[in-house]
Amino acid sequence: MINALFSDSSYVTAKKMLDVSVLRQEAIASNLANVETPNYKRLDVASSFESQLQSAISSGNSASVATMQPELAVDTSAVSGRADGNTVQLESEMLRLNENTVENAAETELINQSMAKIRMAVTGKS
Amino acid sequence: MINVLSGIDSTASALDAERVRMDVISQNIANVNTTRGLDGKPYQRQEVVFENVLKAQQSSLDSNLVSGSSPEMVQIARIQKDNRPARMVYNPGSPDADAHGMVAMPDINIHEEMVDMIASSRSYEANLAVAKNAHSIAMQALSIGKH
Amino acid sequence: MDALSALKMMAGSQVGGVQNAVSATTATTTQAIPAIELQQLNTDVPVQATQAASSTSGAGFDNLLGNLVNEVSQKQTAASDTVSGLLSGKNVSLHQAMISMEEANISFQMMVEVRNKLLDSYQELMRMQV
Repeated sequence: MINALFSDSSYVTAKKMLDVSVLRQEAIASNLANVETPNYKRLDVASSFESQLQSAISSGNSASVATMQPELAVDTSAVSGRADGNTVQLESEMLRLNENTVENAAETELINQSMAKIRMAVTGKS
Repeated sequence: MINVLSGIDSTASALDAERVRMDVISQNIANVNTTRGLDGKPYQRQEVVFENVLKAQQSSLDSNLVSGSSPEMVQIARIQKDNRPARMVYNPGSPDADAHGMVAMPDINIHEEMVDMIASSRSYEANLAVAKNAHSIAMQALSIGKH
Repeated sequence: MDALSALKMMAGSQVGGVQNAVSATTATTTQAIPAIELQQLNTDVPVQATQAASSTSGAGFDNLLGNLVNEVSQKQTAASDTVSGLLSGKNVSLHQAMISMEEANISFQMMVEVRNKLLDSYQELMRMQV
């Protein structure tokens, strides 16, 4: 009964996306820390994870979404604009930083809204 | 340590490293006219070399990243002396002039040092922005479930 | 019918009522609702099935309460594990700890509401004139 309360697919997905955005924050922190390090390759959440998540969401199976584990991987599509082989570009990395922070705020808000709904259903008050 | 600010180890290491780099650059700029250093020779330009390291783990459970891997940090591998030869400048009136009236000056180009200084401070500011965003993400997380 | 199965039927309909409110906001309900409520809505079911359901709903309802308590305590232990993992520096992030604490909280409130409704039903029953 309790697990049914929390198995709404948008709630489960929002929780997983929040994990992903915190993980991405770590990748961006590492990228910006190493912006001057020779031959450093930028990291990001593994691109295979995005496609797996899409298919899990469209299959409607919230249990499979909950068990997915996002990971960091070297971003193979990043090219180096510098002689020292470093693939981090400062401006685009800063943009990603801001975008990720907003995404994080959005998912937190979704989670708060879902919890408020569940709490209202259970207790009858907000 | 409680893991409330994600990725803060990387950011802190970068801020330290860029601070050292800025110190080295200012030292180069300050000594642009030093013809006689501690060893009697003209000042030799110094530069820093960055390297990417993984923070050593005390135990496999001690990882404080969501990703479970160790944080990628940056550190100064070494501060090395440049081995450019000194510039010879004709200045017979100087106390350090040799028999031909030439003085050995440090081969430091101010413009080059300023460009490095700008790159270093941009990187420093970028890492400050990362720390600020990590803080705002943590505050968001603390507000989960508040009603 | 005797007082005990009347109590179970009323309690069953109260729990079914809470369940229906919850299921209106979630996409699926995976837990079986006590048979009484469903049977009364389903006009295809003959009267004998309703009587049979009332005798088995007692056993079903006990299981329901037991499952509820188990699930709530699982949520609580998960929350305290997550929080102690966060405090000891293991790779638990802050939002995971906050979410699991809040889920445990909501689950606990659910159990408290079920208990309140049961108590109200019992008191209502006891007030009935014989």
